[in-house]
Amino acid sequence: MKIQNLELIARTVVEGFVNGLHKSPYLGFSVDFAEYRQYMPGDDIRRIDWNVYGRSDRLYLKLYEGETNTRVLILLDVSGSMNYGSGEVKKIDYARIIAACLSYFSYHQRDGVGLLTFDTDVRSHIPASRRSGQLFNILAEIDRIEPAKETAFKKPLRFLAEFLSRRGLIVVISDLYDEPENIMAGLKQLKAKGNDIMVLHIMDNFELTFPFMDAAQFEDMENKRKMHIIPEYLRTQYLAIINDHIARLRKEMSGSRIDYTLMDTTKPVDEALFSYLAAREHSH
Amino acid sequence: MSLLNPYFLFGSLALAVPVLIHLVRREKSEIVLFSSLMFLLKVPKQAIRQQKIKNLLLMALRLLILALLVMSFARPYLTQNTNPAAAATNNRGIVLLLDNSYSMRYGSNFDRLKTEARRRIDAMGSGDRMALVAFNESATMLGQPTADKNALRAALDTLEPSYSGTRYYEAFTLADRVFSQMASAQRQLVIVSDFQRNGWNRSSRESVIGSDVKTEFMNLAVENPTNVGIDSVSVEPAVSFARTYTGRVIARIHNHRKDQPVTVPISVSINGKEATRKTIMVAPNGTTLAEFTGFDLPIGFSKGRVRIEADDPLKLDNDFLFALDRREKLSVLVVDAGRARQSFFLRQAYTSSPDLPYAVNVTPLQNITPEELGKHDVVVLNDVPRLPDRIRDRLDELRKTGQGQLVILGENADTGWWNSYAKLPAKTTQKIFVAKDRGRSSVALTTYDHNHSIFKPFETSTKLALNSAQFFAYVGMEARPGATVLAKFEDGSPVIIESAKEDHGMLVFNSTVDNKWNDLPLKPSFLPLFHEMVSYLSRYNESQGWYALGEGIPVVGGLESAAAAVIDPNGDRQSLGQLSSGQARFFTPTTPGFHEIRVGPDTRVVAVNPPAAESNLEVMPPEDLIASVQRTQGESQKAGFFDEEDRQEYARHQTGWWYFLLFALLAGIAEIYIANRAYNKA
Repeated sequence: MKIQNLELIARTVVEGFVNGLHKSPYLGFSVDFAEYRQYMPGDDIRRIDWNVYGRSDRLYLKLYEGETNTRVLILLDVSGSMNYGSGEVKKIDYARIIAACLSYFSYHQRDGVGLLTFDTDVRSHIPASRRSGQLFNILAEIDRIEPAKETAFKKPLRFLAEFLSRRGLIVVISDLYDEPENIMAGLKQLKAKGNDIMVLHIMDNFELTFPFMDAAQFEDMENKRKMHIIPEYLRTQYLAIINDHIARLRKEMSGSRIDYTLMDTTKPVDEALFSYLAAREHSH
Repeated sequence: MSLLNPYFLFGSLALAVPVLIHLVRREKSEIVLFSSLMFLLKVPKQAIRQQKIKNLLLMALRLLILALLVMSFARPYLTQNTNPAAAATNNRGIVLLLDNSYSMRYGSNFDRLKTEARRRIDAMGSGDRMALVAFNESATMLGQPTADKNALRAALDTLEPSYSGTRYYEAFTLADRVFSQMASAQRQLVIVSDFQRNGWNRSSRESVIGSDVKTEFMNLAVENPTNVGIDSVSVEPAVSFARTYTGRVIARIHNHRKDQPVTVPISVSINGKEATRKTIMVAPNGTTLAEFTGFDLPIGFSKGRVRIEADDPLKLDNDFLFALDRREKLSVLVVDAGRARQSFFLRQAYTSSPDLPYAVNVTPLQNITPEELGKHDVVVLNDVPRLPDRIRDRLDELRKTGQGQLVILGENADTGWWNSYAKLPAKTTQKIFVAKDRGRSSVALTTYDHNHSIFKPFETSTKLALNSAQFFAYVGMEARPGATVLAKFEDGSPVIIESAKEDHGMLVFNSTVDNKWNDLPLKPSFLPLFHEMVSYLSRYNESQGWYALGEGIPVVGGLESAAAAVIDPNGDRQSLGQLSSGQARFFTPTTPGFHEIRVGPDTRVVAVNPPAAESNLEVMPPEDLIASVQRTQGESQKAGFFDEEDRQEYARHQTGWWYFLLFALLAGIAEIYIANRAYNKA
């Protein structure tokens, strides 16, 4: 997938989505007054509120809503399991599109956008920023990713907790193939630092229904481990376990005020954007 | 437990099919890439195991059903003894078959046989009974079945090796009869033999030993035996009219050893004196012929012996006996019609050389007396018109005692009378003059029996030709029933007719021998033809050079009624009773050697040899032999060797298939139940 294509998809999706809304709650938000800030050398002098200066003889800048600069960091899971796809769309492709859409959307809302890809460790990190070329860098990184290793949330989230200096919105896009404890431990740490967290749980339809019939050797895409499986023996038990996993995640996240959305790769990406907007609104 | 239809067990191969499919599919199962086995690995093993066990149980049930069906079709039956109490006791009936054929004289074979027999007798249990059966070409019981070991040992001591061949079938037949007399719970047959292959003829043999008889054998055969023997000796002819024997004695020497040739000196002795000797080489498992001739013979019967000086363990077949009869010159009486030169060519033919073994006497018919006729070996009736009744009757009698008669019919013959002579092998019709009756100058003798000995010279020499003679006239004749036409003219009419076997000893020639009706006497073929005819007529009753042991030897009465007897090689005399003129009686020798046969004042010697086939020590596997003579259970049933009680018992033993079928049904019900449960759960 070329970056241009990714950008085009993102733009098409986002603009179509935005245009479809009857009333944008965010139109004109950039002219709403938000707060004052003391002038610092280097600030644009045109933004100095001269009325305040007249009254108090101090230089203050008048800041508007649109300039609060929410930082959006997308955590994209690039573990081997994300490469799975029962149909035409692999989970990683679905995740790529969502990540691209969110980056595009946020960037054009003048939010700072960043990207962190991970598997067992942090693979790449583009800190959130609004500088020009940021979107291109993010899209380029999204395009470059190649899923390979296993999933482990612990290390990447600890890294993030240590190095994330400013709070913002963290969007986790992953199939969450890790123990709920490991996932929640990291997320809670981030939440505690005042970040809003939104988890998009990407799952393939086959992972949710396990419709296999014939006995076969199943190979784990993350660790290449093989297992002879007779689906009819395992289906019921497997579905019970995975549903339990999802239910636990949903419950734990709900308890920690983390937005959780289970996304089936057969569903359109709109849902992801709705969830995002809801979360973003919440974060302001 | 045994099976009636064991071939159905091949059906059990079907059991392997589902297992093979399972294994093949498992080997070739495809690989499915899946995001993560994390949750699959969390599935409790117990759940999988339960499912697996359920499926394994189903598979095992299905295999069991198949196996049970296969077993029920194979018709199992129980073979254990139905009377365990009886089986437990020592109540055995044992028949010991002991081979005392001539081949058992090989080395120490017969001593080994006795040792083995003694060992078997000593090993008898308290309730056991044993019968000893000696067999060669026939089988003989050495006393009744008994438990008395001393009696058995005594009977065994009397057993000696015989000179006879081997026949297993007779021995097994007798053993079966002995078993039927012994009411024993267990029957045991022990064969002690060298298991010569010659003793068994597979064809047209039934299995005689019951399926319940336990068989054992003791094989005394020697591996790769060393034996050179005389298979047979051909003595042709066995009668000589000259001092020096001009016939041929041909001995067939066989080397039974298969790995190396042998060189042996071979000699012929006459009446105990060595006459000639040579050395021959015989290839491994090969035969070499040794030919002897030119030795002198005294008047009368001579005892001949061919001997090879081979150092092998079987000595008996190194000697072969034969008898030769040297007679005075062949006495030929020519009876003619008394016309001048009528018998001129005939007399010349037999007396042209002093070396010829013929003494010819030519007498006109009117001078002949019946007594005179009996003094000659051969009588030639040379174109006489008819025979007086007494002469005719005397000739008929003499033919029975071995006299040969040649009847020549020509211009003098009264065809009507000869036609009425019923003993003549030909019916005469009329005199045929070729030029007048057939419209041609002459006919030739063109067709003759090439296998008959009177035409032997014409077969061996290209210079002699019967068809060179021209026949201008002859007496028309046709063969009577049983008679044989030996030669024919080119137009198909007979020239020489031989009498039937029942009234042998007469030949009829239907043209003259005086150069009037034909030019045969002027041709080279005349002499050999009439020599051979007379020679042939003189010895149709000659004794053979030798007889095989067990073969019937004919003893024929002479001119007068007389007592007949045989003196065997041990000097024992066996009377054959009174023999009337021409009456034949047979005696069968039991020992090899020279036998003297005395009929009245006449004495002749015959040589008797043991069967040469015994020299061939090739072994038949004892297992094959026993398998050939022992009935299978199925054969026993088919042959009706079971009484009603046995049949019921037998039927009861075969009901096992019902149980197998019942178990298969139960397994089927269980399978349906488990499969339904598993399916519904899924």
